[in-house]
Amino acid sequence: MKKIPYYRKKMIYGFLFITPWLIGFILFFLTPFLQSCSYAFQTLTSTPEGMVGEWVGLENFRYALFRDTDFLVECANSLKDLITVPLILVYSICFALLLKKEYPGRTLMRAIAFLPVIIGSGVLMDILKQDVFATTAGGAGESMAIFSSTGLSGLFTAMGLPENIVNLINELISKIFDLTWRSGVQILLFLAGLHNIPDYVYEAAEIEGANALQVFFKITLPMLTPMILLNIVYSVIDIFSDFGNTIIQMIYNTAFASVRFGYSSALSILYFIMVGVVLILVYLMMSKVIVRPEN
Amino acid sequence: MINEVKTKRAFYMGLKYIVLVLLAYQLLYPVLYMISASIKDPLDSYDPSVIWIPKNFSATGFIDAFKSMKYLDALKGSMEISLGCAVLDVMSCALAGYGFARFKFPLKNLLFACVILTLMVPMQTIILPYYMNMRYFDPLGLISAFNSVFDKTISINLVGKNIAFYLPSLFGAGIRSGLYIYIFRQFFEGMDKALEESAHIDGCGPLRTFLKIMLPNARNAIVTVFLFSFVWHFNDYYLTKQLLGTNRRTLIVALSSLRIDLAALIGGQTAFDPIRIQTRIQAGCLLAIVPMFLLYMFAQRKLADSIEHIGIK
Repeated sequence: MKKIPYYRKKMIYGFLFITPWLIGFILFFLTPFLQSCSYAFQTLTSTPEGMVGEWVGLENFRYALFRDTDFLVECANSLKDLITVPLILVYSICFALLLKKEYPGRTLMRAIAFLPVIIGSGVLMDILKQDVFATTAGGAGESMAIFSSTGLSGLFTAMGLPENIVNLINELISKIFDLTWRSGVQILLFLAGLHNIPDYVYEAAEIEGANALQVFFKITLPMLTPMILLNIVYSVIDIFSDFGNTIIQMIYNTAFASVRFGYSSALSILYFIMVGVVLILVYLMMSKVIVRPEN
Repeated sequence: MINEVKTKRAFYMGLKYIVLVLLAYQLLYPVLYMISASIKDPLDSYDPSVIWIPKNFSATGFIDAFKSMKYLDALKGSMEISLGCAVLDVMSCALAGYGFARFKFPLKNLLFACVILTLMVPMQTIILPYYMNMRYFDPLGLISAFNSVFDKTISINLVGKNIAFYLPSLFGAGIRSGLYIYIFRQFFEGMDKALEESAHIDGCGPLRTFLKIMLPNARNAIVTVFLFSFVWHFNDYYLTKQLLGTNRRTLIVALSSLRIDLAALIGGQTAFDPIRIQTRIQAGCLLAIVPMFLLYMFAQRKLADSIEHIGIK
């Protein structure tokens, strides 16, 4: 028997290692994805024998883009939500920096910082936003002062800021809860990234006499760029696939409440294309600044 | 001079702790609110002097939420799904991650791009055919081929069964599995190659090397992936709701319809009183997060340490 060369053996083994994933990918991702694409070109009706489809070509897409009054507006709204991504990044980098060094109470603080990862499900956040942050009833309103924007907007107007800027600031403030409860995973990834920056780089900087700001902008930030990209991608996907996202609810209701499966698929394909374009733009912008540390 | 440095340092220290306390407050605020709102008697809501600590305590919120969520059944459902899926995810994603990290094979880059693609497509894009495939389970048309050959009408319905969740996880296609594969790949790439080389020289095959040498050293990655998978399966709503059908629920699914279920339980009049219903809903929220919260309290140091020092780039 001829012996198989080692590199070829390794190739086969590599393939064997990913085979389970490949099966799962084909069965539970590729198949439904392609099916969803084909649904988008049909009008589906549910019959006792299962789904019966009728090909309608691009009609679903045409309807979504030119006749549906809600879809494009909601898309624009979702895109507006992207404004939170840079805020999430800044917030989570700062938080991760606060958690890096050892000090009394750090473990407790870290536990609190990760809390949103553990319990922050979309359903819970939605209820909290309805009940806690839009409270009109009783005493709860009192303790809400820190989150309410009425007090602050008066202050800003008094400072002579233009009205639309005040409104923008207000919107940002009302998103604080959203922001902090969305940043758990990002803080965690940044923290892991921070621990990966070797100590000798910082020691060298200290010997050279760099100050704290220089160290942050010339060492920490560049070394974190791979994590920043990962976090941007994660945040964008997280925002776009959130439980409270109106497009997601629209897609869902179109399918399961008004039983227009074909149209729902068309909407979700359009939505996916939009998310994809955003992610590609992010990647193109980031790829120039990413620092790949050599081993 | 020295005194000046000392005061400066103390000043920064104080500033840091003030920032920390503020951060902790705004993160804990919703949880504190939940606790305060759920134990308070509805009467207290009209009392402006009651802000955090109620004067009259009441457990009706918990009792009603417990009943209308069918708490124990929902808890059992949540636990079965998230525990099983977490274990299976760790197994399948570690295998795939190792394959991508250490072997060269044709189309590797394209296949890894596919891993990332699975992350980028929102679940909602594929949920409808996904559901249909579980409802009429027919992998690659094998069942229908069998039916047409033997002239039978077998139809496998996985909806409502745990296996509808276990099967995708077993094959690395569960909720956010792409991320776990990515984590494992990054982790294994960062590990020293010398270990495997010496194992190879000693005549250890790739699978045994993986099981006996790489996995035992991958504790941090395993803990991280297990935690993520557990938490995200526990907290998932859309997929779980679809795949569980109408008869079974998890805590999160039960929580999502709590408002409607409560109306049926406590009668119309009270159900429209926002304050009375709020107590019960906050109690429901608290009940839904309690299992996770307890688990986290006991294991948080270990979990957080593992994640913090996972060493992925």
